[in-house]
Amino acid sequence: MSARTMQAQPAGERQAEAAIAHGGSGMPTALVGMLLFIASEVMFFAGLFATYFNARATSPGEWGPPAGAHELDLPLAAVLTAILVASSFTMQFGVWAIRRGDIGKLKLWTAMTLGLGVLFLTGQLYDYSVLGFGIGDGVFGTVFYTLTGFHGAHVFGGAVGLTIVLARALRGQFSARNHVAVEAVSMYWHFVDVVWIGVFSIIYLLR
Amino acid sequence: MATTTLEPRASAYRRSWVLDWLTTVDHKKIGVLYIVNSFMFFFAAGILALVIRSELAVPGLQFVDESTYNQAFTMHGTIMLFLFIIPALSGFANYIVPLMLGAPDMAFPRINALSFWLLPLGGGLIFSGYLFGGAAAEGWTGYAPLTSSRYSEGVGTDLWIIGLTLVGMASILGAVNFIATIFKMRAPGMTLFRMPIFVWTVLVTAMLILLATPVFAAGLIALFIDRNYGGSFFDPSVGGNPILWQHIFWFFGHPEVYIVILPAMGVVSEILPVFSRKPLFGYKAFVFATIAIGLLSWSVWAHHMFTTGSVFLPFFSFMTALIAIPTGIKMFNWLATLWRGKLMLTTPMLFALGFISMFLIGGISGVMLASPPIDFHLQDTYFVVAHLHYVFFGGSVFGVFAATYYWFPKMTGRKLNERLGKVHFWIHFIGFNLAFFPMHQLGLSGMPRRVADYSPDAGWTILNFASTVGAFMVAVSIIPFLINVVATFINGEPAGNDPWEGNTLEWATTSPPPPHNFDTLPPIHSERPLFFLTHGHGHAAARPEDLEEHQSDDVERRDGLV
Amino acid sequence: MLRIGAPLLFIGLLAGCMLPPEPKTEVGRDVFNLYLVVLALALIVFVAVEGFILYAVVRYRRKPGDDILPQQLHGNNTVEIIWTVIPTVIVFILFGVSMITLGEVEARSDNPGVTIEVEGFQWQWVFRYEEEGATITGSAAEPPVMAVPVGEPVRLVLSSIDVNHAFFVPQFLIKRDLINLGENGRKNELEFTITETGTYAGQCAEFCGDFHADMTFVVDAMSRADYDAYIAAIVAGEPPPSTGGEDCGTPIQVAAVASLQFDTDAIEAPAGEDFCIEFTNNDTAPHDIGIIDTEINGDDVAPGESIAYVMPAMEAGDYTFYCTIHPTMTGDLTVTE
Repeated sequence: MSARTMQAQPAGERQAEAAIAHGGSGMPTALVGMLLFIASEVMFFAGLFATYFNARATSPGEWGPPAGAHELDLPLAAVLTAILVASSFTMQFGVWAIRRGDIGKLKLWTAMTLGLGVLFLTGQLYDYSVLGFGIGDGVFGTVFYTLTGFHGAHVFGGAVGLTIVLARALRGQFSARNHVAVEAVSMYWHFVDVVWIGVFSIIYLLR
Repeated sequence: MATTTLEPRASAYRRSWVLDWLTTVDHKKIGVLYIVNSFMFFFAAGILALVIRSELAVPGLQFVDESTYNQAFTMHGTIMLFLFIIPALSGFANYIVPLMLGAPDMAFPRINALSFWLLPLGGGLIFSGYLFGGAAAEGWTGYAPLTSSRYSEGVGTDLWIIGLTLVGMASILGAVNFIATIFKMRAPGMTLFRMPIFVWTVLVTAMLILLATPVFAAGLIALFIDRNYGGSFFDPSVGGNPILWQHIFWFFGHPEVYIVILPAMGVVSEILPVFSRKPLFGYKAFVFATIAIGLLSWSVWAHHMFTTGSVFLPFFSFMTALIAIPTGIKMFNWLATLWRGKLMLTTPMLFALGFISMFLIGGISGVMLASPPIDFHLQDTYFVVAHLHYVFFGGSVFGVFAATYYWFPKMTGRKLNERLGKVHFWIHFIGFNLAFFPMHQLGLSGMPRRVADYSPDAGWTILNFASTVGAFMVAVSIIPFLINVVATFINGEPAGNDPWEGNTLEWATTSPPPPHNFDTLPPIHSERPLFFLTHGHGHAAARPEDLEEHQSDDVERRDGLV
Repeated sequence: MLRIGAPLLFIGLLAGCMLPPEPKTEVGRDVFNLYLVVLALALIVFVAVEGFILYAVVRYRRKPGDDILPQQLHGNNTVEIIWTVIPTVIVFILFGVSMITLGEVEARSDNPGVTIEVEGFQWQWVFRYEEEGATITGSAAEPPVMAVPVGEPVRLVLSSIDVNHAFFVPQFLIKRDLINLGENGRKNELEFTITETGTYAGQCAEFCGDFHADMTFVVDAMSRADYDAYIAAIVAGEPPPSTGGEDCGTPIQVAAVASLQFDTDAIEAPAGEDFCIEFTNNDTAPHDIGIIDTEINGDDVAPGESIAYVMPAMEAGDYTFYCTIHPTMTGDLTVTE
């Protein structure tokens, strides 16, 4: 068998570097990764939504919180929805700011987004504390807390990401050309927002 | 460009060998870690298989009690699928895909390391049930409500859930990494339709993992909530639905089957052309068939649930049977690749031929099971056990061994011994058929799966005994394999860069490749850049004088490179 | 050639007997015939493909020193279309015949001869005859017997009170899951008409926990008259007519003892009349008693348990009794006038 010999040469190294550089065209690799990760998250929530609809279809009797517990607080949930949707706007304003290279505005908008996110989580925890039924109280309790709880956990994850972005922004680490982390976190934040609109619609509106 | 020689600062780079492997983010080292880790789990799950087969050799309970037996087959299935076959093929993909693409590494090297290290952690948790009063014992499918806390009290099932969730996270992160690598890291000239088939199968597999595994994770979390926090997803007494678990599990579980088999098909599609000295017949048809299998796999899950009476039989039966079409196309493509080739029956080629001849049987029995009336008789019998082992073992595991023999020279610089390899193959092949072919008949005559014992009056004793003998033959065949690996490490035949006269880019670098993979890349004009380098367009050489021409051509090209 | 041929020949020989049991129900016959069609298609594909692989390995093997490249064939649209059509046609045939049979398997009669509520639980069965007012239960040692009339449609309504189970009688060629879908949940149904009297062994086919393998039962198919008498006896609380109860005098004592042995080498029995053997298993493995060169084969006895076998009348002569699980355990049986 003939072995094909290849010897190291500077030209070849340039070619190998070109292979890396090739990844530079189009969307940054990190954002591709984030989009793919979000796709898998979509399927995760699709699974949870499926359990919700299945429980609703097979559960005997009236669908809703167990007898004796409070009804769901629709006005509070609507306010929380407005807060989260607003935070998506503030996030996007931050992204547009840094695309222009305006790091000052990025700090401002990111801080506002983070504040709104924390407000949302606080509101949700308050809601849990007054509902008067738990995850073990019938299949409605189970799917309600699982869906809203896992969504809340994702908001928390997004808030951690926002904190990191804010900390890095405060150190001046972003610029108009270099802000992939801001774009990635904003994608994730929008995704979390969209999931909440789904959760809100099926649990609170589609009764 | 001015050249300066950089002296490595010897002390600064001296790191312990162990620390180097534990902290590596090099896709090649991570790939090797995957493969070694997978084989460890393979041996553990193989021992469990021998426990199962020993118990079933003759009627009566001789070696283990029912509970131990149930743990054994549950762990065997879980470990083999989630911690051996998938990670082993992921390991080869990790090592080979960047090389095949002409890339210096995966897209996200650190995430790559994370997704590997979650595996031994998750696998350890799944196994640790044995230390805490017994491992999970509900079958790898974990059907509700048997898995509820009422019927399975032990912590083993919780550890199974947590471990599988971690393994699932590892798969998802790995899938993100593979897709990003394939879309963003290809060398110039490496267009999508010049990618090796193995890369295509890894791409489709990664898509399936990315979209199916999270659904399973949702189901596992629901199960965990049911068991530990009083949830009632699957509890019919308060409005839950045990069938929901089967839907979630198989919505993931059937794409999972293709996750397990597609990369093995990719391996075989690399090996057959190299050792037939021909290109893969119908490259594009093969790619589209792979994509078609990936798409169809989303609409067939309920064929595992025909006897539940809860699914629409004609739809799922039809969609399942449809999968036979792209699979058939692949089979014909492989056969046409052999046709008028010049076959070299090396060990990787033997395992690849073993793959297509055994996977055929698993495919045929799969189509038989797609017919609901036949499934009503065969569901949950040993016929299904035979079918799934012909797909997973005759298919995927043969693929894993084919990949091992094929790429071992690239990974270590040394070629595994052919004589020992052939001894391994033949004992393995005969043992495999002796172990699993009789199971078809056992299932047809009504032996249910997952039984610890059977009646001596049922007439199942001889076939079961034969099957046990076969299982031990498979175990014995691993001995020459291990001897071969160890001996080759110590004193193997040096492989050179390209021992098989391969077609794809991994053979264009040294064995093992340097940390940055390539010093130089050949031009990429087809899906066989290396073949092109040696033979031009390769519309070859029927007459000796043509051959001479080609050889001189070859020398020129080689000279041109150096 | 031989080393590839031998295992494949072995496979071929085994394939020769790859059939389900002879069907004892009407739907079972339909399933059996469907299976024959599918098996024929499967064997054609199997022989053609494996045959081609063998042919290619032999015919196209590279000779030593042959460095000429074969023709580099990349594809051929015509043949690729042909071999896309072939599996498509097979798939449609298979789907068509399956749907026809499915219609027969799923057909429900307006007025079944008997309707039985089958309830599964860990790890046994209850058979309830609602109309007749009879309930049949059993145990692992003595599996419950479902009495049914032959030649009439039998409808089973299947439910579980705990985990999933499945009702499976191999000789009927059908099975269905028993699933706990809550008190008012949907229940699966199964309907079949048995064609021959006899007893048919069945067992749970869906894994249901530790003693899944012990969840066996028997279907006893009998004439309508026998069936009516059987159920009447159960309703009256009497032992049903066809099971056991024969008087056979003082039983012969036989025991299995440690390390696969009987406690006696020789026993005697009278010729021309039924006799009983009381068999005690003191060993750690299960045992039974059968008589070599006869059809006689007793039920298994688990370690620590005992059983009374009713042996049929035998002609005078010398016989050998043995454990059918461990054929090395033997003893002499002398039947005298």
